Amino acid sequence: MINNLVFVILFLLGFYAILVKKNLIKMVIGLNIMEGAIFYWFISITDRGGAIPIVNGTQVASQMNDPVPQALILTGIVIGASTSAFLLTLVIELNKFTSSTNPDQIGGMIED
Amino acid sequence: MSKTKHIFTVVILSLLGVTLLVNFDKLPGQFEYANSIYHHITNNGVSETGSLNFVTAILYDYRAYDSLGESTIIFGAVSGIVLLLSRKTLPVSSHGLSFIVKRTFGMLTPFIFLFGIYIISHGHLSPGGGFQGGVILGAISIIFSIVYGSEFDYKRYSPTTKTLLETSGALLFIGLGLLGVIMGGNFLVNLKILDSGVGTLLSGGSIPFINIGIGFKIGAGLAIIFYSMIQKTFKEEVNL
Repeated sequence: MINNLVFVILFLLGFYAILVKKNLIKMVIGLNIMEGAIFYWFISITDRGGAIPIVNGTQVASQMNDPVPQALILTGIVIGASTSAFLLTLVIELNKFTSSTNPDQIGGMIED
Repeated sequence: MSKTKHIFTVVILSLLGVTLLVNFDKLPGQFEYANSIYHHITNNGVSETGSLNFVTAILYDYRAYDSLGESTIIFGAVSGIVLLLSRKTLPVSSHGLSFIVKRTFGMLTPFIFLFGIYIISHGHLSPGGGFQGGVILGAISIIFSIVYGSEFDYKRYSPTTKTLLETSGALLFIGLGLLGVIMGGNFLVNLKILDSGVGTLLSGGSIPFINIGIGFKIGAGLAIIFYSMIQKTFKEEVNL
């Protein structure tokens, strides 16, 4: 299925960034890509091809998409934004003290 | 990066990808339960909550407790960021953009504010709600900082005002929850205080009030996050 394929590609892209990249900001971006992949997949598998879950007079209730996963994902997006902001703050602070965003260099400085 | 580590990473990633793809194909497709929560919400949601938007009905009525936890997470993130970054509360001046951009945004910003308020107050009728409208309100502070310089942002919309707005939004949310307990229901029960017919602006019980509280909380929280970050980022420009 195309949904699963897109999810796997995006998820692996984010995971690759976390594993390989030598820049903490790029690793945070990778984490965000992984989050986005999960949100996309969760919304797409619960899509039954119906209308948006808002009553506007002409829609039949049984033709709507399930509103519960959408509310869950809204929660997830907000929490993802909070964690990204906090992670970027930690990167800013680390950069202030070590003048570097490379996790290997920062680890070496802490050991000294 | 050494070559063996690169090969190792590629092998791990392809194994993970194949495992995920194979297992996802074994999942059931569109599964349907006769008595699922979906049927209950789409059939009774309007009469139970007065909200036409079912996502808003879930977020601020059925599972308002989860939204309270969610806004607590925002509060925790903002507190942590301010704790880490804001040791100096001095205004930091960036010079802002050109005259044309300043005039253009001078005309645009009231309408951006109006749009944010519209998204928040119509959260129970149309797509949107407190979180989405709050992000639009938070963008106004970012416009102030970038277009007019962060000194303007500090003077017009000071960190004290931002903190006050965020705290009052959270207190409005918790106060509505406690009001439910006082009036003999559960915590965060829908109070039915606004009830002028389904589909009008003044409907949906306490949902619009929770939307307003969340909207101000998110908008002010994002403004605080941006202000804390930009304060350190442009620190070198002050000495020029």
